[in-house]
Amino acid sequence: MILTILRIFCLRLRNNPLELLLVFVMPVVFFSIFAVIFSKGIATGSDTKLRVGWISSQQTPLGTELRAFLETNSSLECTSLVETPPSAGLDDATMAAEISAAQQSGQFDLIVRLPGDFPDDIANRTGRRPCVVSLVTDGQNPVPVAMVTSVVSGFFAQKQATVAVEQLLRLLPGTPNSPGPRDAGAAGELKSASAGSLCREPEYFDAVRTPADVFGSDDGSRFLPVDESGVTAVGTSSAIPERWVSSRPVLPPEDHASCSDQAKTGVLSGNADKAVSIVVENPQAASQENPRIAMYAAGIAVLFLLFSATGHAAALLEEAESGTLDRILVSRAGLFHIIGGKWLGILLLGCLQITVMFLWADAVFGIQLGRHVVGFCVMTFSTAAATASFAMLLATVCRSRAQLNAASVVIVLSMSAVGGSMIPRFAMSERMKDIGKWTFNAWALDGYQKVFWFQSPVSSLQMEVTVLLGSSVALGLLTLMLSGRWKRG
Amino acid sequence: MTDTSATATAPVLTLSNVRKKYRGRDALKGISLQLFPGELLGFFGPNGAGKTTMIRCISGLLKPDSGKIIRHTVSENGMSSPVRLGLVPQNLAVYRDLTVQQNLEVFGRLEGVSGRNLKDRIAEVLEWAALNDRTRSLAKTLSGGMQRRLNIACGVLHRPNILLLDEPTVGVDPQSRERIYTMMEQLTALGAAVLITTHQLEEVETRCDRIVVIDHGGIVASGTLSELVQQTIGRLHRVILRFDRPCTGPLAPFVFDEPRTSATYAIESMKELPRVLAGLKQLDQEPSRIDVRSYGLQDVFLELTGRSLRE
Repeated sequence: MILTILRIFCLRLRNNPLELLLVFVMPVVFFSIFAVIFSKGIATGSDTKLRVGWISSQQTPLGTELRAFLETNSSLECTSLVETPPSAGLDDATMAAEISAAQQSGQFDLIVRLPGDFPDDIANRTGRRPCVVSLVTDGQNPVPVAMVTSVVSGFFAQKQATVAVEQLLRLLPGTPNSPGPRDAGAAGELKSASAGSLCREPEYFDAVRTPADVFGSDDGSRFLPVDESGVTAVGTSSAIPERWVSSRPVLPPEDHASCSDQAKTGVLSGNADKAVSIVVENPQAASQENPRIAMYAAGIAVLFLLFSATGHAAALLEEAESGTLDRILVSRAGLFHIIGGKWLGILLLGCLQITVMFLWADAVFGIQLGRHVVGFCVMTFSTAAATASFAMLLATVCRSRAQLNAASVVIVLSMSAVGGSMIPRFAMSERMKDIGKWTFNAWALDGYQKVFWFQSPVSSLQMEVTVLLGSSVALGLLTLMLSGRWKRG
Repeated sequence: MTDTSATATAPVLTLSNVRKKYRGRDALKGISLQLFPGELLGFFGPNGAGKTTMIRCISGLLKPDSGKIIRHTVSENGMSSPVRLGLVPQNLAVYRDLTVQQNLEVFGRLEGVSGRNLKDRIAEVLEWAALNDRTRSLAKTLSGGMQRRLNIACGVLHRPNILLLDEPTVGVDPQSRERIYTMMEQLTALGAAVLITTHQLEEVETRCDRIVVIDHGGIVASGTLSELVQQTIGRLHRVILRFDRPCTGPLAPFVFDEPRTSATYAIESMKELPRVLAGLKQLDQEPSRIDVRSYGLQDVFLELTGRSLRE
C-alpha cells in the first residue's frame, strides 16, 4: 500500500510541470542569481574594484601624487569628476554640484575631494596643519570609506617616512647640508627617537638611497611594516613617533558600522598635529534620518507589491474559470472596462500598500516621510502603475491560476533578487546592476533612493518615472492586445 | 420578470447557417433556428456536440466564421428597443466571497441597472429565487441549490428578453431543480425566451416547449417530443413481450433478440394492442409478460446520435 501511495505521489509530480519547476528549477535559478551576485559583488576577493571619484580644487604635486597612488592600488578604480579643473581652481559650489551629480549617478562608491588649501608638499604644510582629505560618501556602503581611508593613510605614512628618511640622511655626520644640533622639530625628534638603532647599521643607508627601495626591502619594515597583502599598516613602528603618522589607522571590519555612524556626523577624524586629517563627509547626513531604513522599506514594499499585484490579477483567471468573466463580457462591460477596472484596483491597492509600509517606517523608524511626500507620491504611483500593468499582463498570458502562481513566484523572486529588493544594489557587480535595470525593483529603488537618500528634487526622478510609467503604458497596451483571448475562450 | 409581451409571435433571435471552427474542428456546422418570446427551448446533445459553442456565439463571446445571428428588437412601452441578453454560465459565475445582496448589486450595475430601480429588482429576484432570507450570506456559504438559484438570479436582474442557461441544474437536488424550472416557467410566462442546454432527459421532455437535438455541430432534429418521435422512430409506443422459453416460429412483425425469449414491436396507438395480442394467441405463442412503454427522448436521442461514446 505504501508503494501505491508513493506511486501516486510520483505520478502526480510527474504530471505537474509547474510543481516540477518550483521544486527543481527555482532553487537552481535562485542559487545562480545569488552566486553571481556574491561571486562578482562585494567582499569576494574578485576583480571587482571600488569606484573612486576624484575631485580637486587645484592640481598640486602632492594631490597628483596621491591620485597616482590611488590609481596604482589594484582594488580601486579612480576616475576624475572634472578632468581639467580651471586654472583658478574649482570653487566650493561647483565641487558640491559635481559631487552631488556623481553620487546620484550611482557610478561611484566614494569620492575623494581635495580642498583649495591642499598643500603642494607634505613638508610645506601651513602652520604644520594636517593635509585635509575629504572622503565624500552617500552612506550606503561603509566598505569604501574604510578601504580608501587606509590607502590614503598609507600614502601619507609613506610620504612622511620618506621625508623623515631624507631629513635623517641630512642629519648623519658627513652628509652634505646636514643640519646642526640647532635643528629642531621632526628631524630632531626622529633623531632622538631612533638614532641609536640606525647608527648601528650604517650599511643600510650606504646601500639604500630611495624611499621606494627603503620600503621595498625587508629593513623597511622597521619604519613601516608592510603586510603580506601589501596593505600598509601604519602607526606601529617604534622608529617613527606615533603622532607623525596618519591620523586614521585602517579600520578593522567590525568598525565599519561605527565608521558609517561617524560619517553621519560629518568629520570622521582630524588632528592639527598630524600629517593628514581624513574627513568623511556625507552631504545628506545633516538633514536626514535613517535613509537606510527607507531603502529597506522600499525594497520590501516593492517585493510584496509585485506579489500582491499578481495575486489580485489572478482574479481574472478565476473569473474566467468560473464563467464570471463570460457573464461580465455579455453585460455592458467590455474587455477594456474589465482590464481597466482591475488595473485601477491593483494600482490603488499598491499605492496604499506602499504608503502603509512607509507610514509604519516613519512612525517607528523615523524616515522623515513628511519631508519627502511629493517624491514619495510620484515614485509610489509610478511603481504601483508599473507593477499593476505587469501583473495584468502576467494574468493575461497565463492559462490558469496555478500557472500564474508558479510564474509569479519565479519571476517576482528573480526580479527582486536581481533588482535590489533582497540584496542592496551597491553590493552587486556592474553587470548585475545592468541586468537589474530590466526589473521594476531597480528603477523603483533608484527612485526612492534619490528621494530619501539623496533628497533630490522631484525633477531628478524623470528617468525613473519615465521608465516605470512607460513600462506601465506599454505592458497595459500589450495586455489589452492579448486580452482578446478571453473572448476566444 | 420582463416587460416583453408574451403574446408576441415574432422571433427575438434568429440564427442562420451559423458556422464556427473552434480549436481546429468544426464546432458548428450551419446551425439555423429561431427563438420566440415566451418559449422554453431545450438544447440537447452529447458532450462536445457544440452546445456551449453555440451559446457563446449567441451571447457574442465568440464570433461565427460565417452565418448570421440576429437579435431582433422588441416592442416595450410602445417603443422598439434591442433585446437584452442574460447569460447563466454552467459554473457558479458569481463572486463567492461577496454576499447574495452584493452579488446582485454588482451584476445589476454591470447591466446598467442602478438606484431605486436596482433596489426594487433585487428585492424582486430575491423573492423569485427564494433567497430573501439569505441576503447577507456569503455566496460560498450557500448550499449547491441556493448557489444555482443565485447564479440564475444574477442573470435576470436586468429583465432579459433572452436568457441563455448552460446546464443550470447540474449537481442540484430534485427540490432545487424543481424550483429552478418553476422560475424558468415564470420567466417564460412573462414573455422571456429561455434557451437551456442540458443533459437531463426528463427535464427536456417534461419542461421544454421545443427541443433541439444537436450532434457533431449540427442540428439533427427539432420540434416537440412527439414530433421528434414521429420524425425518428415513427411510432409512439413500444410493446415488449417476454417468454418463458425461446419462441420457435416466426412472429412478424415482432423483432426478437437472442435467445428469442423477448420481442419488441412499435405501435402507433394503444388501440392496436388488443389486435396484436389476439394474433399472438392464434400462433400459440402467449408471452409470460407484456410491457408497454412510450418512446422517450432517450430513444429519439439514441436513434439520432447512435450509441458510440463521445468526448
